[in-house]
Amino acid sequence: MGLSLPYGPAELVSQLLVGLSRSMILFIVCAGLSFVLGVLRVPNIAHGSLYMIGAFATYSLSILFAGSSGFWIALIFAPLVVVLVSLIAERALFCHLYQREHLMLLLFTFALSLIFGDLVKLVWGAEYRSVSAPGMLKGSISMLGSSFPRYNLFLIFIGLVVAIALWLFVNKTKIGKISRAAAVDRDMVGMLGINVSWVFAAAFVIGCYLAGLGGALVAPTVSITLGMDHTLIIEAFLIVTIGGLGNMWGALVGSLIFGVTQSFGVLILPQFAIVFPYAAVVIVLLLRPKGLLKSVW
Amino acid sequence: MKQIITRRSFVLIPLVLAVLLILHPAAAMAEPPIKVGIIDTYTGPPTTYTYDVRDAFKVAIDEINAKGGVLGRKIAFTTRDDKFKVDICLSMAKELVMNEKVDILMGTINSAATLAISEYCKTEKIPFLVTFSKSDKITGEKGHRYVFSITENTVMIGKAAAVGLSKRPFLKYWITGDDYEYGHALADGVWGNLKKIKPQVELIGQSWWKLGEPDLTPYLTAISAAKPDAVIFATGAASMVNAMKVAKATGFAEKIPMFIHTATELSTLAPLGPEAPEKVMGTSNYHFYYPDTPKNKAFAKAFRDAYGRYPKVGALYGYLAAQFIAKALEKAGKMDREKFIDALEKMKIDSPVGEVAIRSYDHQAMLPMFMGVTKKVPKYSFLIASDIVTIPAKDVMPSIEDIKKARGK
Repeated sequence: MGLSLPYGPAELVSQLLVGLSRSMILFIVCAGLSFVLGVLRVPNIAHGSLYMIGAFATYSLSILFAGSSGFWIALIFAPLVVVLVSLIAERALFCHLYQREHLMLLLFTFALSLIFGDLVKLVWGAEYRSVSAPGMLKGSISMLGSSFPRYNLFLIFIGLVVAIALWLFVNKTKIGKISRAAAVDRDMVGMLGINVSWVFAAAFVIGCYLAGLGGALVAPTVSITLGMDHTLIIEAFLIVTIGGLGNMWGALVGSLIFGVTQSFGVLILPQFAIVFPYAAVVIVLLLRPKGLLKSVW
Repeated sequence: MKQIITRRSFVLIPLVLAVLLILHPAAAMAEPPIKVGIIDTYTGPPTTYTYDVRDAFKVAIDEINAKGGVLGRKIAFTTRDDKFKVDICLSMAKELVMNEKVDILMGTINSAATLAISEYCKTEKIPFLVTFSKSDKITGEKGHRYVFSITENTVMIGKAAAVGLSKRPFLKYWITGDDYEYGHALADGVWGNLKKIKPQVELIGQSWWKLGEPDLTPYLTAISAAKPDAVIFATGAASMVNAMKVAKATGFAEKIPMFIHTATELSTLAPLGPEAPEKVMGTSNYHFYYPDTPKNKAFAKAFRDAYGRYPKVGALYGYLAAQFIAKALEKAGKMDREKFIDALEKMKIDSPVGEVAIRSYDHQAMLPMFMGVTKKVPKYSFLIASDIVTIPAKDVMPSIEDIKKARGK
């Protein structure tokens, strides 16, 4: 026990890929959380609940559209269910609260996460749910003599696609540019004659879409259950903090640190694996208290 | 005027009595039913297990009542939902005893709640049949005259797994599981017994994930890099599904033999459907398709006819509870709690898994354990256990010396 023997390159590569695939789920969810934090200054604890709703909606939709394409349909529409929920929440509740202080918003979104949790229980019940990966992504492929699940490769691919799409959105689209400007100086954006209220609504919904997308993507790899929101949201806030509050690329860096230290921790010192990602967070915060990349706060 | 009313009421009284007699012949002619109170968790994930206990109990009781009940009385039962909370559970038990005047208590799936009710039953001298909690304290350290366990416990799970695994050629083991009390208790139980039976086994490493860990992939890939001969998983209900899914997706189950208690049980395999991995070793007290005896077939059919689903392990416990109660009452001759206990502690019944006896010393039901390997079959939409080996009750029961030691005697 304790320190294990050194591993061959195959094991190291496969462990790295496993870590990367977990990082990608974290990145997709955290990018959304960070975007909302940056543009709206809302520390949204209910972000985890939206991720959970995304996963449960994926379950229902993949049951509804049974067959090989069920998962793909769910992957497209489950995040849209989350978009709808978040749009209603934004227009009915959040939009009245943007000017409040952060502690107030923290309590409000925490309350909302409890309400969402109970709503999920009402709609889907408290049983464990399971979603199948689509046929072409089932099973594993062998690489350098060790096997690796296909679905996790797909996750890495999707993570890259989302990262590129986000970069294009923030830098090349008008609403992306306005969002960035609003994050820096929202009063000035308002003075330029832009309807800040709708910019905020759009930014909030986009952030929540990412939570729903993360939930849909994670569904085939886990058991979908109440409480998956709380596990995630703690990790997500840690990641956003070490990356730099409100910085989406910080979310990417933070997710990579978190996912990869976890997977290598499990390989090297399995008995203490739980500690590794948190130790990494502590080290980063000791060295760079404001996070690795520039915080917009 | 006054006289008319009196005369009319004289006519009315026998009339009302006659109507009552016609409407309630049983109430008027037979004695009141013997009452059983069931406290269990009927909300949330534990219902996967508890519904089957209740439903099979009902099937068995209905059958007994249709034949005229016991001692010329019917058996009736009431249920209470404890919501998996100890305080609610205890107040429900008291309510059942004081308001509903139940003669016998039954339940629960929560070990802490079970131990609390057990204490109450000890002071109040009420027979209590435990149907799902797995703590070995129930009939061990905290056992007493009024409590009976008709389910397996962590010691029995550990012993059964050790006996089963010792017969296989594995020497280098890895242990992994949920980092909480049940996980570690299970792992210690299996490993301690395995080491005793087969001293040459070696534990090359262990890894524990936090309860609710969403993705177990890095754990499984790391374990496969260490190349153990077999892996013992010590997991509870939620991560069980996760572990099985990941074992399938990573191809882990194909490469490294893995053992998980209840991996072969329908409660685990039914929700996974075709997503469950093959070749996983597991243990369970019950399969509706094994042993292939007329008794088991009849039981599974009666359950399926009544509820449209296959009976899971909880159904066996519910059936056993009903049979033990009925047989012990018959032997006691009347509903007397002390006589009931005297009869029950020496009771043997014929069941879907063969003869099951109560051990007089600790009131633990002597249940056999079935070790099998998951397998896909065309007949069902879920995997089943194949190559089943029966581990007899005498091999899995905790020794009486250990019980004495735990009780400080």
